[in-house]
Amino acid sequence: MIDIITNMLSMCIPFSVALLLASIGEMFNQRAGVFNLGCEGVMAMGAFVGMLIPFMAGGGGAVSEWYNFLGFAAAALLGALFGLFFGVVTVTFRAPQGIAGIGLQMFGVGTAGTLFRHFVGGTQSIPGIPDIDIPLLSDIPFFGDVLFSHNAVAYLAYIFIPVAWYILFKTPWGLKVRAVGTNPRAADSMGINVSRTRYEALMLGGALAGLAGAYLSIAQAKMFSDTLISGRGFIAVALVYFGHWHPAQIMGGALLFTLAQTFQTIVQSMGISFPYELAVMLPYILVIVVLSFTSRNQTTAPVSLGKPFNREIRT
Amino acid sequence: MKKILVLALVLVLPFMAFAQGGEETASDDTFKIALIIENTIDDKGWCQSMHDGITQAIAEMSDKKIEYSYSEKMLPVDAGSIARQYVAEGYDLIIAHGAQYKNLILEIAEEYPDVSFAFGTSSEIGPANVFTYMPESEETGYINGIIAGRVTKDNIVGLVGPVDSGDAARYNRGFVLGVQAVNPSAKILVAHTGSFSDYVKASEVATSQLGNGADVLTGSSQQAIGALRATAESPTAMWVGQDLAQLTTAEGQAKCIAASSYAYAAVVKGIVEKMESGVMGGECIPMNFANGGFTFDYNPALKAEWVSPELEAEVQAAIDSFVADPDGTLADWADVDYSTL
Repeated sequence: MIDIITNMLSMCIPFSVALLLASIGEMFNQRAGVFNLGCEGVMAMGAFVGMLIPFMAGGGGAVSEWYNFLGFAAAALLGALFGLFFGVVTVTFRAPQGIAGIGLQMFGVGTAGTLFRHFVGGTQSIPGIPDIDIPLLSDIPFFGDVLFSHNAVAYLAYIFIPVAWYILFKTPWGLKVRAVGTNPRAADSMGINVSRTRYEALMLGGALAGLAGAYLSIAQAKMFSDTLISGRGFIAVALVYFGHWHPAQIMGGALLFTLAQTFQTIVQSMGISFPYELAVMLPYILVIVVLSFTSRNQTTAPVSLGKPFNREIRT
Repeated sequence: MKKILVLALVLVLPFMAFAQGGEETASDDTFKIALIIENTIDDKGWCQSMHDGITQAIAEMSDKKIEYSYSEKMLPVDAGSIARQYVAEGYDLIIAHGAQYKNLILEIAEEYPDVSFAFGTSSEIGPANVFTYMPESEETGYINGIIAGRVTKDNIVGLVGPVDSGDAARYNRGFVLGVQAVNPSAKILVAHTGSFSDYVKASEVATSQLGNGADVLTGSSQQAIGALRATAESPTAMWVGQDLAQLTTAEGQAKCIAASSYAYAAVVKGIVEKMESGVMGGECIPMNFANGGFTFDYNPALKAEWVSPELEAEVQAAIDSFVADPDGTLADWADVDYSTL
């Protein structure tokens, strides 16, 4: 039994990274007052570009780790550009954020699939990045497998959580982000450039969503297909609400969701008499239940979330 | 208005650079076949096997003039318009490859009784202008189960399923029967992802099963590539495949001991010949080893190491029994209960 529990927990960290990165990115968007339902599309583009670079370099064979790094960098850059584009649509042109996000999702997924067919062809895999056993620590019984035998990006993603917290709560820029998401008019009167801050947050959020997609294609599945993201972008958006726009709580949500995923897999594999359809639904039901019980606590929600800012209009 | 037109052109032109037709041949006065699929023709799984089957059938019926077109990534909700477009263009046979198209095809078939339609997998007998086809894939699953049951060293095998229905349910249960036939003490881990195309989830399920000790895995549908990719990460685990296209991948060459595949060419040729004789539908065409509906092959790079002459003989005996009695050998496949494993 201990082996089964160790196996289940050891999968939580690497399998939660894509959700974690995307939802932290979405948190920055929403803290600035913009929700981006196009996260799924940005992830798809990140996954495609991230996989394309090592694939083109090695033709599907082994390549230098630098190409994988380049794939991540390109995915982040492209994600930032998508964030910029979303900013043009929702901040400058003040388009409805929900509709624009759905459009971005469809555009990203469709474009990634089209470009993939053109440049790569059918479903292809890459060697990706390997797991790293941290010396000494990975030898610790139980904790070694659960915490210290994962790929480098997984470690970096979790190290980024306190960094994200610091950026959001301890830096002048983080204060600006929270100000424009809470009361943009007051922020504007204090000399904060609301549009610029929202653009910056959207670009950071886009870059993280691009990285999340690249994580799936380079580090986790080590392949690309049109359906690689399969709704994880929307789960990431839900996790932001789940985690009350706080990095640590979002991390908890990502881990809990992934734990539920791995748990239902184990329930099925152990031959426990339980309808698999319900087992597959378990993580999603969990999100809905937790959201239902925590939705009353809205004190941390950005008050101006979803509201375009126009300094010429008094509200 | 002019600005809008220019803007529209600017937005559309980049995509035209990537446009590619889905038409294989073109000539007048020919038998016209259209294929509608939910994934792509090169997905190394479900959709590719039908596309390959049609192109092979066309090659084998070289005495006939056949035109073939396909539409990829067609969700059932979108497929109706393209099916009607094919009808308008005079296609004789429209194949919607997937049970999810059933309602759509039955509805359109009623509107256009002079056109033949086909969908599968389904064992239902459709209207007079609808063919169905059903791979009896418990046979291919059984073969792979024999191999998995024999080559497992840790006595644990894994099965990554999509959903528990159609040919996937038959394959999975056939696999269980195959393992149990040669290795009754083997533990069989069965888990479904709930999707045919979630490659990441398939890889997660496979990783979970590998972590729980499975050293031989299998899986069906296009998402199985994700599970195969995860298996390739293990230094010791091996794979038995449900599609020969998996043998063409790098990880398949390294890990896939053997694979079976649906030979849709036989189905397509059968339908074309029936239509030429005036039968427009109303029949279910089974696919099995007896009628050439399945092919099976070993990975030449791994056969010597993993397939003993005794195992090969055992597999061949099973295939021979299927050919001799396609209806009776695995008639109890539906009785397999995963909760008892």
